[in-house]
Amino acid sequence: MKDPSNRLASPLQEFTHRVSLIFMLTLAAALLLLGRAETYVFDQARQVVTDVAAPLLELASRPVAATRRLVERTDEYAYVFDENEHLRDENSVLLEWKEKALRLEAKISRYEALLNVQVDPSISYATGRVVGDRGGPFVETYIVNLGREHGVASGQAVVDSDGLIGRIVSTGANASRILLLTDLNSRVPVVIEPTRYRAVLAGDNTPWPRVEYLPTGSGVAPGDRVVTSGHGGLMPAGLPVGVVIATDDGYLRVQTFSNRDRLDSVRVLQYDFPSEVSRQDPPLALQKPEEPEKEKTADAKPASPAVTPTPAPSGGQ
Amino acid sequence: MDPIGPTSAVRAGRFVLLLLPFMIGVACVLLSFVPLSSIVGLQVAPLYALIVVYFWSLHQPDVLPPYAIFVIGLLYDLLSFGPIGLWAVTFLATYGFVQSQRLVVLGRPFVMFWFSFVITAGMAGSLAWGMACLYNGAWISAWPVVSQMLATVLVFPVFVMLFSWASRSVNSTSS
Repeated sequence: MKDPSNRLASPLQEFTHRVSLIFMLTLAAALLLLGRAETYVFDQARQVVTDVAAPLLELASRPVAATRRLVERTDEYAYVFDENEHLRDENSVLLEWKEKALRLEAKISRYEALLNVQVDPSISYATGRVVGDRGGPFVETYIVNLGREHGVASGQAVVDSDGLIGRIVSTGANASRILLLTDLNSRVPVVIEPTRYRAVLAGDNTPWPRVEYLPTGSGVAPGDRVVTSGHGGLMPAGLPVGVVIATDDGYLRVQTFSNRDRLDSVRVLQYDFPSEVSRQDPPLALQKPEEPEKEKTADAKPASPAVTPTPAPSGGQ
Repeated sequence: MDPIGPTSAVRAGRFVLLLLPFMIGVACVLLSFVPLSSIVGLQVAPLYALIVVYFWSLHQPDVLPPYAIFVIGLLYDLLSFGPIGLWAVTFLATYGFVQSQRLVVLGRPFVMFWFSFVITAGMAGSLAWGMACLYNGAWISAWPVVSQMLATVLVFPVFVMLFSWASRSVNSTSS
């Protein structure tokens, strides 16, 4: 490492640097402490920097994404025959499931019509690309190239083709930040199927978020499927999340369906919780038959409880 | 009679010399967020900015002063969505630590230089991890930061080569 510039600083310069270092260290430590108390200003600063950096990151991530696809495709070619055989077997099983699903769908539609079930509102979505890598070793976030201009807002759920990834925590004009399910600060209300027990999925910066607040003796076992519950109204119910696994530390954890290390195209679900539901009339079969006007005035007796219209369900959750 | 002053080309060269390490630091922060790590299967991208801080703190601390390091750290904090000030403190502490090693490391073989960086990376990773645990009030898994520092140590020689070349070419311009 012989370099002509390897000169030692003069004592005055050294002193100036030392004073400057102490001042800057104090400032950085003060920011660290302030960050815990004051979040709005820092959140705005973060979002401005993210908005400025997002186009650069998007530009840089395009060749990277192309290279990754090339690598994956090369891997796929190596196993194309095995994969083809596997897919044929899977297809035959899935065709049986399709028949069952169609029968169940028809049955459920009949029941819904009979019970006058309020269906969930349709969910629109915006599709974007993950442009930034994870935010360092202590944070599990990604930057996506969708912002307010695309209808994205804080709290919206983000999914890929496999299932839920996380939710939007910060939005700028053209870029937003996704907080992954695995992040230390992530809490998502879930339901564990088939027992339908409610729980909270809590991230702890490991690849497998924990299942918390399960009632004792709930009978939840590894292999059970986890979906969003929709409680709180931020996310729609029923989004696939993952399967329960047991780990050595004694916690029930979840292996998510989505792979956080291979995120590329994602969808941000623009879901509005139906807070104002219009009144629904009961089905015709349950409505009280029309009575002549004169009979109503002559006979002042109250209507039989058996024909009292049932109140409409208040929401789809 | 006044001595002949430096030409405008020399002045421009000196200006670039002053700005170059800082610009490389900013570029390295941005590089950490380009999803390169997904190609090679790394969980977290290497901390390229730490190499910048180490290299210039050791060789030319006058061209990468503490306030420039503070800005580089703050940029990393803002982009990472982590606690603001965490990496700024870590990089500044690294600067201070490297200053104490200058006389020991300068002029020694590259292996010594690399080994010194391993110790520096260990110190920086431990400090950042400790502050992150305290900040969140929770025990955070240390594996991501360990893997990040290992990856940084592995890419260190390549980046040092590039930085040495950049440093030499700017020095030759300004001299």
